[in-house]
Amino acid sequence: MQIIVISYFIYLVISLGLTIWVARTLHKRGAIFLVNAFHGNEELANSVNHLLVVGFYLVNIGFVSLALKTDLAIQDWRRAIEMLSDKLGWVLLILGGMHFFNLFVFSRIRNGNGTRRPPVAPNAILRVAPVSHP
Amino acid sequence: MKRLYLLYDERCGLCRRLKEWLLQHEAWLELVAMPAGSPQAAQMFPELKEIASSEDLVVVSDEGEVYLNNHAWIMCLYALREYRSWAYRLSHPLLMPFARQAFESLSRNRRLISRWLGSGNIETIANELRQVTLEPCSPTEGTISDYLQ
Repeated sequence: MQIIVISYFIYLVISLGLTIWVARTLHKRGAIFLVNAFHGNEELANSVNHLLVVGFYLVNIGFVSLALKTDLAIQDWRRAIEMLSDKLGWVLLILGGMHFFNLFVFSRIRNGNGTRRPPVAPNAILRVAPVSHP
Repeated sequence: MKRLYLLYDERCGLCRRLKEWLLQHEAWLELVAMPAGSPQAAQMFPELKEIASSEDLVVVSDEGEVYLNNHAWIMCLYALREYRSWAYRLSHPLLMPFARQAFESLSRNRRLISRWLGSGNIETIANELRQVTLEPCSPTEGTISDYLQ
């Protein structure tokens, strides 16, 4: 088999493997954040988590596919490894960027969703909290 | 904190208008508005008459925390999805005295106050808010003796 085909194959295996690993980490660790952000509403948290991971897969696999092709003439293994390293470097940077973007989304959801403390202190506190709803 | 009770002066046109404006927006916290001094308010919050007069704007949380006037305006903004970040900006000590002016400006012309807050300079914002004139909380119906009762 030609060196270039083997290189492409290695590139795909490593890139997709990394994408799956990062997405699973996000899915697993992000779940706790989201359940907290949605006040324990696990169904909603799972749904949002799943949607975020789908978006993550789409962007990353899209990028991996687009970045596959090379116009370099690869005749020896040295060139092949350099090309692989170059492409994997980009994949890792994009994965890292997407990962931080997801963390940012998690923290935005968490901060914006009613969990931040009120900006001002109360002027007084009732001895008996209101109980009945009108 | 899940619900805020808003006790407003029903004789005040401005307060009524702002209450309507508040209730039109999507909120993080459930907002329940009732006229201050109404039998319902007196029944739910018997202790309030020692804390506030019927001319104060009062916000009470479902946990019993009472916020008056400027604090109450800020809590109203805090409750709204779109305006929570404004509540944090307005809680700056220099801007707090103008919470009501800011609220009035916000409900009339969002873009204007958005520009002030966007500028980031607290003193400039305070100066701008100082110039906002508020219509007085005057009774719009009934006689002055009704108002005094």
